[in-house]
Amino acid sequence: MPHVRNTAGAARKGRLKEDSVVEKLWWIVHKDLVSECRARRVWPAMLLLGAVVALILSMEMNAVPGEKPRLVSGFLWLATFFAGMLALDRSFVSEREEGCWESLRTYPVPPSTVYFAKLAVNVVALAALQAVLVPLFAALSDVPLLAHPAAMLSVSLLGNLGISSLGTLLGALAAGIRHGANLTALLVLPAAIPVVLAATEATSLAVAGDFGSAWWRWIQLLGIAAGLFVTAGWVLFDFVIEE
Amino acid sequence: MSTRAAIEVRGVTYAFGRQGVLRDVSFAVLSGQSVAIRGANGAGKTTLLRCLASAIRPQAGEVRWFGQAATSEPATRRLVGWVAHETHLYSQLTVHENLTFAARMCDVPRPAGAAERWLHNVGLWEQANQLPSRLSRGMRQRAAIARAMLHNPEILLLDEPFSSLDIEGKAWLLDLLGKIRDQGRTICFVAHDRETVAQLAQRVLELHSGRVREVECRTCGTPPALPARVA
Repeated sequence: MPHVRNTAGAARKGRLKEDSVVEKLWWIVHKDLVSECRARRVWPAMLLLGAVVALILSMEMNAVPGEKPRLVSGFLWLATFFAGMLALDRSFVSEREEGCWESLRTYPVPPSTVYFAKLAVNVVALAALQAVLVPLFAALSDVPLLAHPAAMLSVSLLGNLGISSLGTLLGALAAGIRHGANLTALLVLPAAIPVVLAATEATSLAVAGDFGSAWWRWIQLLGIAAGLFVTAGWVLFDFVIEE
Repeated sequence: MSTRAAIEVRGVTYAFGRQGVLRDVSFAVLSGQSVAIRGANGAGKTTLLRCLASAIRPQAGEVRWFGQAATSEPATRRLVGWVAHETHLYSQLTVHENLTFAARMCDVPRPAGAAERWLHNVGLWEQANQLPSRLSRGMRQRAAIARAMLHNPEILLLDEPFSSLDIEGKAWLLDLLGKIRDQGRTICFVAHDRETVAQLAQRVLELHSGRVREVECRTCGTPPALPARVA
């Protein structure tokens, strides 16, 4: 039977090998990162938008002195969300514009591998964005956002994962819709509100050094939201990418 | 030639909105056969090939490769190599990187080496480190053909593969596809050029109004009479 000849038989002859899913995932991530580093289509715009939002909002940061850490935390996550949408929105659009999306779908790669690869690239993009925004907000507001780096890192990771997992799934959906460019933010925002709120609260409590039960509740909410969105992406991605 | 069906198309229907492109299309291609698909512009040839390659799922019906559902597990997907209507190369990766990426996705051992070998085969070795945008349409087409053949697929689907090749390129591709056909692999291609079809195809299918019909078969015993408008 040809399919036997093409897999087991061919593998015996050394013609084909079974690459692990993780390896394929890594090569898709590598391809996307190399493409972005060369084209610089999204990341510079994303970082610039984040910095501009931070500069504009910094003018309002002294308006309510008692609430400053909370206000700065909220602005930080809003800036992350809206600037990050640029990356999330483009993660499938560029692949579709070049027509490579269909080729990628015909390769022997499970759709969930493509989802997790795109998710990984988006988490890296948001992490890069926050690596710029957190020190920038801290410098502009005098709020010690990095006073507890481990706590800040945990909140950032969970918040980024929540926004990215949702954005990757809905970005794929928006990219499949005719004239659906820039729809991602509209689709993601309603569902991402709990993540942005929880990340804001957890960040402001971390800045104040309050790691009591309230902080853990927000962290748990972030973790649950991220887990739910990642699971939804894993399960639904194959249906979402259907034309 | 085997009597086993390499490609089975059963009741495939596909529409863009309300506009039906494929209507209950059914046919089979035997293993080792070389089949040309013809039809007027907009007849649905590209959509049919996309369905055969499982790049899109038909709204009704199914496509099977060697008896297995085309959308099934990765090992089955390795049976097919597809040259799309557009070249589908990543614009920010060099030709070599494009081929290496495809080889990695298709589990080809020593992917970089396989990519280099095919770059030699298709005459693009000197352009290996160039971005696709620096290449002519014909060169990009050669790269796309190399990418489809990297993993030695049993079934080769080609959408107008000769369209942007020069005379030398057409002769080279005809020779290559002839060798692949002689190895017993299955080829299904879209072409308009009568001469190319005559040289390569054992069967000719025509798409008209979303339906497919056989207009020529050199391996089916008595060939059906050619309809007047095709002749």
